[in-house]
Parts: sequence; C-alpha cells; structure tokens
Amino acid sequence: MSDYVVKEGTKNLQRAGEKLITTHCSYCGMQCGMHIRVSEKTGKIKGVEPRYDWPVTLGKLCPKGVTAYQQIDHPDRIKRPLIKKNGAFVESSWEEALHVIKDNVTRLQQESGPDAMSVFGGVSMTNEKCYLVGKYARAVLGTRFIDYNGRFCMSSAAGGFLKTFGMDRGSTLPWTELEHSDCFLMAGSNTAECHPTSIQMFWKARDRGASMIVIDPRETPTARIADVHLDLLPGTDSALANGLLHLIIKEGYVDEAYVEERCANFEELKAQTALFTPAYTSKITGVSEEKIIRAAHLYGRAQKSVVMFARGAEQQSKGVDNVTLYSALALLRGQIGKFASGVATFTGQGNGQGGREHGQKSDLLPGYRKITDPEAVKHISGVWGIEPEAMPKPGVSAFEMFDEIQNGAIRGMHVICSNPAVSAPNVEYVWDSLKKLDFLVVNDFFLSETAEFADVVLPAVSWAEDEGTTTNLEGRVIRIRKAVEPLHESKPDWQILKEIAQVLGKGYLFPYEKAEDIFNEFRLATKGGKADYYGITYERIDRENGVFWPCPSLDHPGTPTVFKGRFETPDGKAVLPSVPWQEPGEVPSEEFPLRLTTGRVVYHYLSGNQTRRIDFLRDQCPYPYVEMHPALASRYGIQDKEMAEITTPRSSMTVEVKLTKATREDILFIPYHWGKELSVNKLTNACLDPTSRMPEFKVCAAKIRRITKKEGVSHE
Amino acid sequence: MNKIMYLEFERCIGCRACLAACRECGDHEGTERNYVDYVDFMESRQTFPMMCMHCKDPACARVCPANAIQITEEGVVLSASEEKCIGCRNCTFGCPFGIPKFDFDQNKMYKCDMCYDRSKHDIAPMCASVCPSDAIRFIDYDEMQTLRRRRTQLNLVEGRKPSEQDKWQYVPEFFGVYTD
Repeated sequence: MSDYVVKEGTKNLQRAGEKLITTHCSYCGMQCGMHIRVSEKTGKIKGVEPRYDWPVTLGKLCPKGVTAYQQIDHPDRIKRPLIKKNGAFVESSWEEALHVIKDNVTRLQQESGPDAMSVFGGVSMTNEKCYLVGKYARAVLGTRFIDYNGRFCMSSAAGGFLKTFGMDRGSTLPWTELEHSDCFLMAGSNTAECHPTSIQMFWKARDRGASMIVIDPRETPTARIADVHLDLLPGTDSALANGLLHLIIKEGYVDEAYVEERCANFEELKAQTALFTPAYTSKITGVSEEKIIRAAHLYGRAQKSVVMFARGAEQQSKGVDNVTLYSALALLRGQIGKFASGVATFTGQGNGQGGREHGQKSDLLPGYRKITDPEAVKHISGVWGIEPEAMPKPGVSAFEMFDEIQNGAIRGMHVICSNPAVSAPNVEYVWDSLKKLDFLVVNDFFLSETAEFADVVLPAVSWAEDEGTTTNLEGRVIRIRKAVEPLHESKPDWQILKEIAQVLGKGYLFPYEKAEDIFNEFRLATKGGKADYYGITYERIDRENGVFWPCPSLDHPGTPTVFKGRFETPDGKAVLPSVPWQEPGEVPSEEFPLRLTTGRVVYHYLSGNQTRRIDFLRDQCPYPYVEMHPALASRYGIQDKEMAEITTPRSSMTVEVKLTKATREDILFIPYHWGKELSVNKLTNACLDPTSRMPEFKVCAAKIRRITKKEGVSHE
Repeated sequence: MNKIMYLEFERCIGCRACLAACRECGDHEGTERNYVDYVDFMESRQTFPMMCMHCKDPACARVCPANAIQITEEGVVLSASEEKCIGCRNCTFGCPFGIPKFDFDQNKMYKCDMCYDRSKHDIAPMCASVCPSDAIRFIDYDEMQTLRRRRTQLNLVEGRKPSEQDKWQYVPEFFGVYTD
C-alpha cells in the first residue's frame, strides 16, 4: 500500500531519507490537499509539501494549512490520561481513567436514569469517528442527550437547505466548476480569510469577466475585490435578500419556465417581496438604493451564477430564513442543478458536512435519517445490533444541553472534539453549567478551555495519527491518512470509545480493529438514506479524487451536481420561502447603542485551541481586538491602539482598538478565537433560531468605553 | 530554470501563507525571507507581497565587500555564503527594496533564494506553491506574456469599462483604443 498518491507528471520535491504521506489539512471544510513529510529513519514529522494535483485546491494552502503539521509533535500535547484529584490534574494510566469513567457513568445512570449522561460531539474529525460518537451515545450510554458543535456552525445552512430542497448538501455543484461561473453573490462570507484557497477559483472566473457581489458589514479582503459591496447592517440579511428578490422579479430576470416546473410557493414569495422596494430595503439594511439596484442587475443578467453564504448570514436567530431567501435568488434565476451554477455554503469545520450526516445531531441517525421515523430506527438498530425499542428518543440542541444541566436533567457529559467553553455564546453561562456537572470527560489532544473543567481528560490523537475519511464542503468524500503512529499514550477517538464501551460491558457493539471497519459498517448504515455512502470505498476515493455522495452502489459514479432533475422534497419541487422582516433578537437601545458582530481571522481556527499554540499563527494575531471606524471611535474619544471596554447586557471585556475605514461606521467587530477573559462569546447573545437552534453570534447590542491609561489594562 | 515569478499585487488577500510557507523551505532554517504589508490599513485592507526580484546586477551583491553573495547560472541571487559573510550589513542598506534580512545572533545576512532546491528542478518555490489567491505565481515566460495581454483585454469587458475620467488607469497611453 502506497501512502503517496500523485498523478503522473506532477513534480514534488522528494528529499533524501524522507517519504511523503498524501492527506488533507486538519482545519476547515476546504480540506486542502497536502503531503506530510516524514523522516524514513525516525518516523518523525518533518514538514509539508504542496499537493499540486489535488483538483480542488491545486497545492494552495493558507497559513493554517502550511503550519498544520506543527500540531502533531507539539510540546503541549496531552501525553497521558489526566484525572482531576483535589482540583488538580494528575497523570494516570488508561486503566485508572477508564475505571473512573465506568464508576461515575454507572453511578449517575443508576441514580438518574440513562439520560443523566450526555455527549457533546464535534465535526473536526473523520466520518468514522463522527458516526461512532452517535452510536456510542445511543447504543452504549443509551442517552437521548447527544448533540454537536455543528449547531454553532452549519445548522442554519442545513435547516435552510432541508426546508428549500429537501436535502442538505453544502454545495449543489463541485468547486472545480466555479471558475466557469459568471457571477458570485456571496453573503456573510469572508472567503479570503476563512476559506482562502477558494479565492483562486473566483479570480479565474473574474479573469473571464465574472462579477462578484459581496454582502458583508465590513469591507473584508473578500469585499474589497467585489464589483458591488453591499455593506449591510448586521442582522438585516433577510431584508436585503427580500429586496434583491423584489428587483429580480420586477426587472423580469425570473426564469419563468424553471420556476413553473421546479418551484412551489412562487406567488406567496412574490406577494411577500412586493413590499421590499429599494427604498424600504435601504432603510432597514443601511445599504444605498443605488448599490442594491446595481447588484440586482449584475446578478440578474448573469447566465451562470452561484449564490454562496457562510456564518455571517447563518449565525443569526433568522439564520434558516436567510438561507432560504438567498437560495431563492438562485431558484428564481433557474440556476440549481446546472453546470457552474447553484447554491453553496462554506462549511466551517473540516468535516462539517460529513459529521452532520452521521447521527451526532440530537434528531438524526446515520445517512441523514430522522430518529422520529420508525423505519429509520429499525434500519439503524439492525446495523448496530440493538433492539429498535432501545433507541433513545430525540434530545435537545447543543446550547440547550447547558439548560438541561442547569435544571438537573443532565448530570454527566462526555465532550469529544469540541471546545464549547470558547465556541458557545454567552460562555459565562456555559462555564457555570460545566461547573455544575457531576462528571465531565473530555477527549482532546491539547488541554482546551473545556478540558480544564473536566474530571477526566483522555488524550486523543491529532488528525495525522489515524486513518479515515472526511466529506469536504463540496460533498466530496476524501481520505485522511496516518502519517505517524499515535504519539505518547494517546489513542484515536474511536479506540477510546471502544474501550469505554468495553468497560461498560457493551464491547460487543464495537468490534472494530481499524478505522476502515467502522467505515464499512457506516456505509451499510447510510445505505438507502439521503446521504448514501454505500458505494464509496477507500480504494475508490484514491482512484477517483474523492467520491461525491449520494453514491448508492459500487458502480454508481457519485453525484458531483445534485438536484439535476428533481429536488428531494416529497413532490420534487423546491419550496420558495415567504419571510417577513423581523429584527434580530437584540437591537440597539439607549444604554447599548451599537451593534457588535463577531467573526474570524485567517490565522486562527474556531476556538483557537490548536492554532493559538502554533508560533507563526500566534505571532501574527496574538490577541483579540475590536475593529471600528475612526468616525465612530472619534465619538468616544478613542484613538488607534488604545484599550477599550465593550459591554453587552451579558458581560464586558477589554481589548485593543484597531481603526480602519474599511468597515461600517456603526458597528464593532471582535474575532472570537480566544478563551476566558479574552472570549468575545462572553458578550454574544444566545438567542436561538427557531428551526436550527443556531445562536445569534453575529449581532447583539453593545456599548464601548475608552480605558484610560490610569486604569492600566493591557495584554502586555 | 524555464519559469519566472509573476506577482499581481491586487490579488493579495493578506493571509501571509507565503511567509509561513517560506519558513518551510528546506534551506531556510525556519525563517521567512519575504514580506506582506498593508498599503494603509486605516484606508483599506489591501495588502501586497514583496520579495526579492533577483536583479540582473544586484546592488546587494555589488556592495558586498566579501563577495559573499553568489548568483547562480539561472540568475538566482543567493543568501550570503556562511563562510564569507562578515556581517557588515552593507547588503541590507544597499538593496533599494529592503529585501535582505539580518540575523544578529548568527551575524549573517539571509534572503530569498527562490527556494533554489525546488526552482532549479522547475518546482515552484514554496510561496508561489501555496499562495491561495495566485498573487504569487511561478509560470512560463509565454504564460506571463499571455497574462499581461489578458489584463488589458479584461478592461474591455462590459461593466469594467473605463470612463473618460479614469481611462488611463486602465489602458496604457500607447494602446490607443480610447483616443478620440
């Protein structure tokens, strides 16, 4: 078996005494291709070599990708299981740690029933692990309380896609077609910083004359290169989308035949959007009428266009509505299911797509099956080898689990591959909840802020120490390879779950020797589901540059473009939305007159537990800051690089001020990758979307105050 | 070496992957030799990459009293050779672009060598390999000429047509398309 996969004619630099292991990056949904350099003699990781022949990214990497390998043999790695004794972590043996877990889980479940334990999963891990987390929670622990950090990431996109198309695949087209498109309408995505390797496709298209419309309150590096930048007020996406839909209809850009044949609810949409004249839209969104009109014409005239969105539009209490409205723009233009056109969301986490299909969500079973559907329960119970009656009922969403801790329903939690102590909104409430737990187990390879609350921390491996598959933002299933054996005493998450299952007397449910065994079981589990992986094998992934789901049989070529003939709704028609304007969960008041929005920087990934430890990345952006317009700063007498205190109804924090005119004059922006007193999520609002249960990270009311030198707060 | 480095400043997204990648080159001892700067962050987020242009008659080599800066047969201007460098820093002052860096611990200069171990085999240097926005490219001479022609062509595409006021920002004067 060769671990170096390369196309004929592609030149890589092969150093003497080193081998290259072909894999993908550990971070975002782009899953950029890379080779990891490994010393043949010592087996140690030496560095990274670009994977020029990976068709999605062509060797390109962002700074996180270039330095990703530095996580593997990092001095901060958790080397042995940690058990908290008298308030401090003590290194211990696996045997002892498993014993403590067994005792506590058994005790809590005997006292308060199986639901006393809960599982908080994550999707920055392989499909194999994500699948197993669901099985572990439901078949081993028997709890209904399982959910995952995708609730803070992709859930609004998923909810919007399900509502509109009846199926949730992040992109309706393969990324390699983007360069042939004529227009991109991108909402709430700072692609240049969050998915940088996508930018090459946009430039290629622009070299052919394609246009770009970017919807973002800040003039991000992405918005800077746009033909039209719609600098809306945070939280007003639904009004802006309604305004664009209004103009598309009014100006006669609707593909009437397509809408007639493939969409439902058009008259309702038409009636609802009638109100959203450019003047009305402009009044709500703060975008000039002229720009809205120009954007509508640019988008309406484009032959092939792609509507794209990301967390900016999704992390709102109307995230699902925003997704359905933006998707409607593509539907009215008849773009979905065709070449180089469609709808896509930029998946945040590495396996955000795959991880949400395999049963980590409180109401889903593998293959995107509903846990409330008796047929689905029967099928999955059969694959798992349990009685259908033993399948727990639906649980609650990620953030609501903390409510369940507060009211005593959840007493123990197992956090796997997630760091909610940084990534959840209103984190002071989350910290308090974690403290209230009787028993907390965390799997991680660095001691995260969440792990610090734990009773037992189990050392997991980094992504390069295990085999597996992930599903990238296109819906393409790809291979992750093992570059080194697990370091120290760490173990892959699937093996950890297997060993816990064994001590709990359910070892027979986890008969796996290697990751591929899990993959083969989960192919069966997804068979016949919406996200059908049955036809995908490790060997096919290598041969075919990854395989797109759905792929129901071994001779099925996979599905790069979805919805070619019909949508997955019962009648095969896409459902157009009709959504009235509604304010965000929290609007500025006299006391809190400004809007605060949060986001990311290119150097850090999610809660920063990995990237804050990498020298290069930390040096580039060591601390959070508040970014604001000099005109706004002037009103408060604040100068560049001074310290300021930002307060919302929940809490306050002190950060350095960074001034730029490349933003709106009435907003504050703070990146969220830090924990504890540096966490902007102390300030964010946990107002949840009614469908997706996505918290409103992107908008809340705030006030700002200059910190005088005398008060002496500084990060230095 | 049959390829050339081609930079398009306006494409730079400021991610600094080129800096991280520069450190990864085998001969670079974990130090970066290129630069990414904001034009003016207060006004805009526009950044630009800056790296050695490997001058034909490089000032850095010319002002080196120890003759420590060698130029390969392909024209790549290398870092000062460790044996010869006397640490006088003439090169860092002499370069009009401020490219050579100085290591005060080891008392020697270091600079971009176009990842010579890669580029001599026509494998792209690390910065050009990873640049996510194609702001830095390692391409054939002919491809570069095509790209230059395309840039002008692009300005004729509807929607980006120059107006009477700013036409000279788009088209060189000798091009003659828009003269009255």
